[in-house]
Amino acid sequence: MEIIIPALVLAGVGFILGLLINFVSKVFYVEEDPTIDEVVDLLPRYNCGACGYPGCKEMAIALLAKESKVLQCKPIKKEAAETLDEFLKEYFQKSK
Amino acid sequence: MENLLMIAFSAFIIENIILTQFLGICPFLGVSRKRSSALGMGMAVIFVMLISSTVTWLLFKYVLEVFEIQYMRTIVFILVIASLVQMVETFLKKVSLPLYKALGIYLPLITTNCAVLGVAILNITKEHNFVEMLVYTIFIGLGFLFVMYIFSMIREKLDFSPVPKAFKGVPIALIVAAILAVIFSRFGGII
Repeated sequence: MEIIIPALVLAGVGFILGLLINFVSKVFYVEEDPTIDEVVDLLPRYNCGACGYPGCKEMAIALLAKESKVLQCKPIKKEAAETLDEFLKEYFQKSK
Repeated sequence: MENLLMIAFSAFIIENIILTQFLGICPFLGVSRKRSSALGMGMAVIFVMLISSTVTWLLFKYVLEVFEIQYMRTIVFILVIASLVQMVETFLKKVSLPLYKALGIYLPLITTNCAVLGVAILNITKEHNFVEMLVYTIFIGLGFLFVMYIFSMIREKLDFSPVPKAFKGVPIALIVAAILAVIFSRFGGII
Protein backbone atom coordinates (compact mmCIF):
# COMPACT_ATOMS: atom_id res chain seq x y z
CA MET A 1 0.00 0.00 0.00
CA GLU A 2 2.95 2.28 0.58
CA ILE A 3 3.48 2.61 -3.13
CA ILE A 4 0.12 4.31 -3.76
CA ILE A 5 0.93 7.78 -2.40
CA PRO A 6 4.26 8.20 -4.27
CA ALA A 7 2.65 6.88 -7.44
CA LEU A 8 -0.25 9.31 -7.10
CA VAL A 9 2.08 12.24 -6.40
CA LEU A 10 4.23 11.44 -9.43
CA ALA A 11 1.16 10.99 -11.63
CA GLY A 12 -0.31 14.26 -10.37
CA VAL A 13 2.87 16.23 -10.96
CA GLY A 14 3.22 14.68 -14.41
CA PHE A 15 -0.39 15.48 -15.26
CA ILE A 16 -0.12 19.14 -14.24
CA LEU A 17 3.15 19.59 -16.12
CA GLY A 18 1.65 17.91 -19.18
CA LEU A 19 -1.25 20.34 -19.13
CA LEU A 20 1.19 23.26 -18.79
CA ILE A 21 3.29 22.08 -21.73
CA ASN A 22 0.17 21.74 -23.83
CA PHE A 23 -0.94 25.24 -22.83
CA VAL A 24 2.48 26.80 -23.57
CA SER A 25 2.76 25.08 -26.94
CA LYS A 26 -0.67 26.50 -27.90
CA VAL A 27 0.12 30.04 -26.73
CA PHE A 28 3.56 30.19 -28.33
CA TYR A 29 2.67 28.28 -31.48
CA VAL A 30 4.93 29.06 -34.43
CA GLU A 31 3.61 28.44 -37.90
CA GLU A 32 5.85 26.26 -40.01
CA ASP A 33 5.84 24.98 -43.52
CA PRO A 34 3.56 21.90 -43.36
CA THR A 35 5.68 20.11 -45.96
CA ILE A 36 8.45 19.80 -43.34
CA ASP A 37 6.21 17.52 -41.29
CA GLU A 38 5.26 15.54 -44.39
CA VAL A 39 8.94 14.92 -45.17
CA VAL A 40 9.63 13.96 -41.55
CA ASP A 41 6.83 11.38 -41.81
CA LEU A 42 8.57 9.84 -44.84
CA LEU A 43 11.94 9.67 -43.03
CA PRO A 44 12.55 6.81 -40.53
CA ARG A 45 12.13 9.20 -37.53
CA TYR A 46 14.91 7.49 -35.58
CA ASN A 47 16.70 10.82 -34.94
CA CYS A 48 19.91 8.82 -35.18
CA GLY A 49 22.01 11.67 -36.58
CA ALA A 50 23.81 9.47 -39.12
CA CYS A 51 23.00 12.04 -41.85
CA GLY A 52 25.02 14.69 -40.05
CA TYR A 53 22.02 16.68 -38.83
CA PRO A 54 20.87 16.68 -35.19
CA GLY A 55 17.54 15.02 -36.01
CA CYS A 56 15.09 14.01 -38.69
CA LYS A 57 13.43 17.42 -38.63
CA GLU A 58 16.66 19.29 -39.40
CA MET A 59 17.34 16.75 -42.14
CA ALA A 60 13.88 17.42 -43.61
CA ILE A 61 14.52 21.18 -43.60
CA ALA A 62 17.86 20.61 -45.33
CA LEU A 63 16.22 18.30 -47.88
CA LEU A 64 13.65 20.92 -48.77
CA ALA A 65 16.41 23.52 -49.08
CA LYS A 66 18.28 21.14 -51.43
CA GLU A 67 21.23 21.13 -49.01
CA SER A 68 21.26 17.38 -48.49
CA LYS A 69 20.37 14.21 -50.39
CA VAL A 70 18.07 11.36 -49.42
CA LEU A 71 21.08 9.01 -49.67
CA GLN A 72 22.63 10.70 -46.62
CA CYS A 73 19.98 8.99 -44.49
CA LYS A 74 21.53 5.66 -43.53
CA PRO A 75 18.69 3.68 -41.93
CA ILE A 76 15.99 4.50 -44.53
CA LYS A 77 14.46 1.53 -46.38
CA LYS A 78 14.74 1.32 -50.15
CA GLU A 79 11.02 1.71 -50.86
CA ALA A 80 10.68 4.60 -48.43
CA ALA A 81 13.64 6.32 -50.08
CA GLU A 82 11.95 5.98 -53.48
CA THR A 83 8.66 7.47 -52.27
CA LEU A 84 10.57 10.28 -50.61
CA ASP A 85 12.50 10.93 -53.83
CA GLU A 86 9.25 11.16 -55.77
CA PHE A 87 7.68 13.41 -53.16
CA LEU A 88 10.63 15.79 -53.31
CA LYS A 89 10.63 15.81 -57.11
CA GLU A 90 6.96 16.73 -57.17
CA TYR A 91 7.52 19.40 -54.54
CA PHE A 92 10.38 21.02 -56.44
CA GLN A 93 8.41 20.93 -59.70
CA LYS A 94 5.45 22.59 -58.03
CA SER A 95 7.56 25.29 -56.43
CA LYS A 96 9.01 26.19 -59.81
CA MET B 1 21.96 40.07 5.02
CA GLU B 2 25.52 39.02 5.77
CA ASN B 3 24.46 35.43 5.39
CA LEU B 4 22.94 36.17 1.97
CA LEU B 5 26.09 37.97 0.82
CA MET B 6 28.15 35.00 1.87
CA ILE B 7 25.88 32.59 0.01
CA ALA B 8 26.00 34.79 -3.09
CA PHE B 9 29.78 35.14 -3.07
CA SER B 10 30.49 31.49 -2.41
CA ALA B 11 27.98 30.39 -5.07
CA PHE B 12 29.50 32.77 -7.61
CA ILE B 13 33.23 32.13 -7.13
CA ILE B 14 34.16 29.63 -4.43
CA GLU B 15 31.64 26.92 -5.23
CA ASN B 16 31.60 27.73 -8.93
CA ILE B 17 29.34 25.14 -10.52
CA ILE B 18 31.64 24.38 -13.45
CA LEU B 19 35.17 24.82 -12.19
CA THR B 20 34.84 23.65 -8.59
CA GLN B 21 31.88 21.29 -8.56
CA PHE B 22 32.43 20.07 -12.13
CA LEU B 23 28.75 20.05 -13.06
CA GLY B 24 27.53 21.17 -16.47
CA ILE B 25 30.76 20.36 -18.30
CA CYS B 26 28.90 19.37 -21.48
CA PRO B 27 27.70 22.88 -22.48
CA PHE B 28 30.96 24.30 -21.06
CA LEU B 29 32.90 22.56 -23.81
CA GLY B 30 30.12 22.30 -26.39
CA VAL B 31 28.73 25.84 -26.67
CA SER B 32 31.83 27.89 -25.80
CA ARG B 33 33.14 28.32 -29.33
CA LYS B 34 31.50 31.69 -29.85
CA ARG B 35 30.92 34.44 -27.33
CA SER B 36 27.35 35.07 -28.48
CA SER B 37 26.23 31.45 -28.13
CA ALA B 38 28.00 31.14 -24.75
CA LEU B 39 26.06 34.18 -23.53
CA GLY B 40 22.80 32.80 -24.91
CA MET B 41 23.39 29.40 -23.32
CA GLY B 42 24.29 31.02 -20.00
CA MET B 43 21.10 33.08 -20.05
CA ALA B 44 18.98 30.04 -20.94
CA VAL B 45 20.58 28.02 -18.13
CA ILE B 46 20.03 30.82 -15.57
CA PHE B 47 16.41 31.08 -16.66
CA VAL B 48 15.78 27.32 -16.49
CA MET B 49 17.69 26.99 -13.21
CA LEU B 50 15.75 29.77 -11.54
CA ILE B 51 12.33 28.46 -12.53
CA SER B 52 13.16 24.80 -11.93
CA SER B 53 14.77 25.44 -8.53
CA THR B 54 11.79 27.49 -7.40
CA VAL B 55 9.30 24.86 -8.53
CA THR B 56 11.30 21.93 -7.13
CA TRP B 57 11.89 23.71 -3.81
CA LEU B 58 8.16 24.40 -3.44
CA LEU B 59 7.29 20.85 -4.48
CA PHE B 60 9.77 19.41 -1.99
CA LYS B 61 8.57 21.58 0.90
CA TYR B 62 4.84 21.38 0.31
CA VAL B 63 4.30 18.02 -1.37
CA LEU B 64 7.14 15.57 -0.79
CA GLU B 65 7.78 16.53 2.85
CA VAL B 66 4.08 16.58 3.67
CA PHE B 67 3.62 13.02 2.38
CA GLU B 68 7.04 12.02 3.80
CA ILE B 69 8.29 10.72 0.48
CA GLN B 70 11.55 12.70 0.25
CA TYR B 71 13.22 9.75 -1.50
CA MET B 72 11.13 10.60 -4.60
CA ARG B 73 12.98 13.88 -5.11
CA THR B 74 15.28 12.78 -7.94
CA ILE B 75 12.54 11.45 -10.20
CA VAL B 76 10.14 14.33 -9.46
CA PHE B 77 12.89 16.91 -10.05
CA ILE B 78 13.88 15.32 -13.36
CA LEU B 79 10.25 15.39 -14.45
CA VAL B 80 9.94 19.08 -13.58
CA ILE B 81 13.21 20.06 -15.28
CA ALA B 82 12.44 18.12 -18.47
CA SER B 83 9.00 19.73 -18.81
CA LEU B 84 10.37 23.21 -18.09
CA VAL B 85 13.05 22.88 -20.75
CA GLN B 86 10.40 21.83 -23.23
CA MET B 87 8.41 24.96 -22.37
CA VAL B 88 11.47 27.20 -22.63
CA GLU B 89 12.18 25.72 -26.05
CA THR B 90 8.71 26.50 -27.39
CA PHE B 91 8.92 29.94 -25.82
CA LEU B 92 12.33 30.75 -27.33
CA LYS B 93 11.26 29.54 -30.76
CA LYS B 94 8.47 32.09 -30.74
CA VAL B 95 10.33 34.96 -29.10
CA SER B 96 13.86 34.71 -30.48
CA LEU B 97 14.43 32.44 -33.45
CA PRO B 98 18.14 33.36 -33.88
CA LEU B 99 18.92 32.34 -30.28
CA TYR B 100 16.88 29.16 -30.77
CA LYS B 101 18.95 28.30 -33.83
CA ALA B 102 22.25 29.25 -32.17
CA LEU B 103 21.57 26.99 -29.20
CA GLY B 104 20.34 24.22 -31.49
CA ILE B 105 20.77 20.76 -30.00
CA TYR B 106 22.17 22.16 -26.73
CA LEU B 107 18.82 23.57 -25.70
CA PRO B 108 17.10 20.18 -25.34
CA LEU B 109 20.32 19.02 -23.69
CA ILE B 110 19.68 21.40 -20.77
CA THR B 111 17.22 18.67 -19.76
CA THR B 112 20.14 16.40 -18.98
CA ASN B 113 22.38 19.23 -17.78
CA CYS B 114 23.52 18.01 -14.39
CA ALA B 115 24.06 21.60 -13.23
CA VAL B 116 20.31 22.26 -13.23
CA LEU B 117 19.45 19.10 -11.29
CA GLY B 118 22.55 19.66 -9.14
CA VAL B 119 21.40 23.11 -8.01
CA ALA B 120 17.89 21.84 -7.29
CA ILE B 121 19.28 19.09 -5.07
CA LEU B 122 21.97 21.28 -3.46
CA ASN B 123 19.26 23.73 -2.40
CA ILE B 124 17.54 20.88 -0.56
CA THR B 125 20.64 19.34 1.04
CA LYS B 126 21.93 22.74 2.17
CA GLU B 127 18.50 23.38 3.76
CA HIS B 128 18.11 26.84 2.27
CA ASN B 129 15.00 28.86 2.97
CA PHE B 130 13.12 30.49 0.09
CA VAL B 131 15.17 33.71 -0.15
CA GLU B 132 18.47 31.88 0.29
CA MET B 133 17.41 29.45 -2.41
CA LEU B 134 16.70 32.31 -4.84
CA VAL B 135 20.03 34.03 -4.12
CA TYR B 136 22.01 30.80 -4.32
CA THR B 137 20.39 29.78 -7.62
CA ILE B 138 20.83 33.17 -9.27
CA PHE B 139 24.49 33.40 -8.31
CA ILE B 140 25.26 29.81 -9.29
CA GLY B 141 23.70 30.67 -12.66
CA LEU B 142 25.71 33.89 -12.91
CA GLY B 143 28.86 31.93 -12.05
CA PHE B 144 28.02 29.54 -14.86
CA LEU B 145 27.51 32.44 -17.28
CA PHE B 146 30.72 34.15 -16.11
CA VAL B 147 32.91 31.06 -16.58
CA MET B 148 31.27 30.23 -19.92
CA TYR B 149 31.95 33.77 -21.11
CA ILE B 150 35.63 33.95 -20.14
CA PHE B 151 36.19 30.46 -21.53
CA SER B 152 34.58 31.40 -24.86
CA MET B 153 36.77 34.52 -25.07
CA ILE B 154 39.88 32.39 -24.48
CA ARG B 155 38.74 29.91 -27.11
CA GLU B 156 38.14 32.66 -29.67
CA LYS B 157 41.71 33.82 -29.10
CA LEU B 158 43.00 30.24 -29.25
CA ASP B 159 41.76 29.94 -32.83
CA PHE B 160 44.40 32.48 -33.87
CA SER B 161 47.19 31.24 -31.62
CA PRO B 162 50.10 29.07 -32.78
CA VAL B 163 48.95 25.85 -31.11
CA PRO B 164 50.93 22.65 -31.83
CA LYS B 165 49.06 20.52 -34.36
CA ALA B 166 48.37 17.67 -31.93
CA PHE B 167 46.66 20.06 -29.49
CA LYS B 168 44.42 21.95 -31.97
CA GLY B 169 40.74 22.22 -31.08
CA VAL B 170 39.34 20.36 -28.10
CA PRO B 171 42.63 19.15 -26.49
CA ILE B 172 43.94 22.67 -25.91
CA ALA B 173 40.48 23.71 -24.69
CA LEU B 174 40.59 20.93 -22.10
CA ILE B 175 44.03 22.06 -20.94
CA VAL B 176 42.77 25.64 -20.62
CA ALA B 177 39.76 24.38 -18.64
CA ALA B 178 42.11 22.49 -16.31
CA ILE B 179 44.22 25.61 -15.70
CA LEU B 180 41.06 27.64 -15.01
CA ALA B 181 39.90 24.97 -12.54
CA VAL B 182 43.28 25.14 -10.76
CA ILE B 183 42.89 28.91 -10.45
CA PHE B 184 39.37 28.62 -9.08
CA SER B 185 40.34 25.90 -6.60
CA ARG B 186 42.62 28.47 -4.90
CA PHE B 187 39.56 30.53 -3.92
CA GLY B 188 38.65 27.69 -1.57
CA GLY B 189 40.05 29.15 1.64
CA ILE B 190 38.58 32.66 1.49
CA ILE B 191 35.53 32.07 3.68
